[in-house]
Amino acid sequence: MSNQDKSFLKDFNIQSILHHDEVANISSDLPMRKWLYSWLLDPNIPGNYLKGIDKWISYLIVANLFALMFEHVPAVYEPYKQSFHLFDIFSVAVFSIEFVMRFYLAPEDEEFKSRKNARWGFLSSPFAIIDLLAILPFYLQAFIPVDLRILRLLRLLRILKLFRVLIPAFAEFKELNKGRTFRQKVHALVYTSAYGGTIHNIFEVFINVWVLISVTAVVLESVNSIDYIFHLQFVILDTVAVAIFTVEYVMRIYSSVEEPGFKGAVSGRLKQAKTPSTVIDLLAILPFFLEVFLHHLFDLRFLRIFRLARLLKLARGSDASAVMFKVIAREWPVLVAATFIMFLLVILTASLGYLFEHEAQPEKFENIPTAIYWAVITLASVGYGDISPVTPVGRAVTVVLSLVGIGIFAIPAALLASSFSDELVKKRELLKANIFDILKDGHMSDEEANFIRSEAKRLHLTNAEINALLELVRKEHELEERNPLPIHKISENPALAVEHFKVLLGQIRQLGIQTDPTRFNAAAQENDRLSASEFDLWKKIQGKA
Amino acid sequence: MTSPQNSAPPVEKHGMGLADYSFIGFLIFVVVLVILVGTIDYKAALKTEQVKSNGEALTAWLTEAGLKRFDADSPHEACKGGVKPTADAKSGDPVAGTWGPCFAYIMTKTELKELSNPFFNTPPKQIAQCLTSDRTAMGAFVLENLVATPAGSAIPFVISPLSDVTAIDTKLLLRMSVCDKGGYAIKISEFDF
Repeated sequence: MSNQDKSFLKDFNIQSILHHDEVANISSDLPMRKWLYSWLLDPNIPGNYLKGIDKWISYLIVANLFALMFEHVPAVYEPYKQSFHLFDIFSVAVFSIEFVMRFYLAPEDEEFKSRKNARWGFLSSPFAIIDLLAILPFYLQAFIPVDLRILRLLRLLRILKLFRVLIPAFAEFKELNKGRTFRQKVHALVYTSAYGGTIHNIFEVFINVWVLISVTAVVLESVNSIDYIFHLQFVILDTVAVAIFTVEYVMRIYSSVEEPGFKGAVSGRLKQAKTPSTVIDLLAILPFFLEVFLHHLFDLRFLRIFRLARLLKLARGSDASAVMFKVIAREWPVLVAATFIMFLLVILTASLGYLFEHEAQPEKFENIPTAIYWAVITLASVGYGDISPVTPVGRAVTVVLSLVGIGIFAIPAALLASSFSDELVKKRELLKANIFDILKDGHMSDEEANFIRSEAKRLHLTNAEINALLELVRKEHELEERNPLPIHKISENPALAVEHFKVLLGQIRQLGIQTDPTRFNAAAQENDRLSASEFDLWKKIQGKA
Repeated sequence: MTSPQNSAPPVEKHGMGLADYSFIGFLIFVVVLVILVGTIDYKAALKTEQVKSNGEALTAWLTEAGLKRFDADSPHEACKGGVKPTADAKSGDPVAGTWGPCFAYIMTKTELKELSNPFFNTPPKQIAQCLTSDRTAMGAFVLENLVATPAGSAIPFVISPLSDVTAIDTKLLLRMSVCDKGGYAIKISEFDF
């Protein structure tokens, strides 16, 4: 084996491939301002605190919006006035520190450092103006008497701070979609593709956040005391959520023709409309329209519960949900068979229960449908105890039913569990095969590293697991080095086949020399592990026949 | 016939076509529709809020009146406590010492005469119970009389609607509800009267 082969994969740094626990490498010898900028605001240094700062500032902006909303509800605002005020002071303090920090560090910023006066360049930038507008009303009220309502309105300007995240994402999206059609751009925004970039991720997070908000609202609406106070807010929230989900639905249908397998202006869109995820999207908005337009005809309040179907929208981006649907589809025939057996068993035992118990307890085992309820509760090991047998035969049937129920109800669960496990193994095997292909040449490009990174994230693999996979690939690579060609390739060339045969013969002879002949013979003859002809052949090769 | 090699490469259009404008038009239509429907919903919710505040106002009035109605100088004669209803009360016509005259007094002679049922723009009426099948129930008051059962009973109260002929000579524990747009009851409060 060459030196290059010996070092195969030895020099791979899994930490750098997976970008786990990435820590910025910033020298402490830098001047104070440069050092601070590098740690806090430099977008070109991976692993610094910029992402964290942006994330927490975004959370604070969203929390401010919620606070603003709750301040308009006297039942919430009045008892917690002080807490609201303290939160406002805290928010302004954080935003002010951020503003001052950016002002101080402006001379280090690539955008402003070339200007004559970097700090003035920062102050006159749109982002700085937005930041200032977010905090200025708070300070102004200390000097100028400002109407509280106007002050609250001005605080809405804090939402503009989110543009710090949105504008770069939008610029990236524009760059990625240069020269593409309008429909392709809409597709890139709503569907996962190589053109979506950060704005697609923001779009998905935005939709998911609204799903969670609207579902929480639906749940809280059912609590009378909460609905009494927030009824108006819930109505507004639902309208906004439906508006967002409706726009998303229309965008998905419109741009679905860009998806592979959905070509055709009408047929493609109809096909898309019939997919489970799009049907869920429709279910999420339909109750809103039906209730408003048809409430005069009949009571459609029950439709409100279908708004909880919005929760299923979260399953769209989830790989685990995709695996679950795949597993259910694959095991469908077995699941149907198990359900059929369950159905038979329920009917049979319910009939027996009715037969033996009806006379003893006519009010409980009144008819077979009532006995079906008892049979299902017993089979599923729930056992409420509201209906129970009293006759000896009825009790005997219950004993058998309970024992059989454990097995019958366990079948679908066990099937699904083992299928899940199989699917995971398959995915890992596929990843292993991909890693093997990637590392065949002993090198890994950035694109290949990206692929491994995304797959490791998707399959929730740790560094240790990836290392184990690499070790496996390394061993298989060594084996492949020993047998460079597969058997069918060797057999195509008779001369090579003869050489291969000689190598194999040599290996068998080597085996004969190194192994203990007595123990080998005993093992070979035990339970006819080797047939008589195989044992004769072994002896011939060893020259003992 | 021109071969594919000789023909000019297809020009890819990156601008907006008719389909794109139609989509944007439809999107605007949908958003307007949602806003319209949302506005209808919001207006209905505002009416429900007004119905709730009507209920709260009546509750506040009754609670306050309940504190003084057994006093000799009670300002609201029709709702005075301790006045035994006459035998005529059984005939079904409201007589002194019953709830009917008291409610009529509240809705005509006090500051609550300004109350209006926003669903019909009429003074709110009192009904026995909210019914989803009865569209006229929207915005109405439902007052129930809660009579405590003896200790050890399975239920703490016997609940009956406060009708026009219900005697109000003694202290009552009342439950106030209002009917919303769908004819469902929204409980306001329980109070002594």
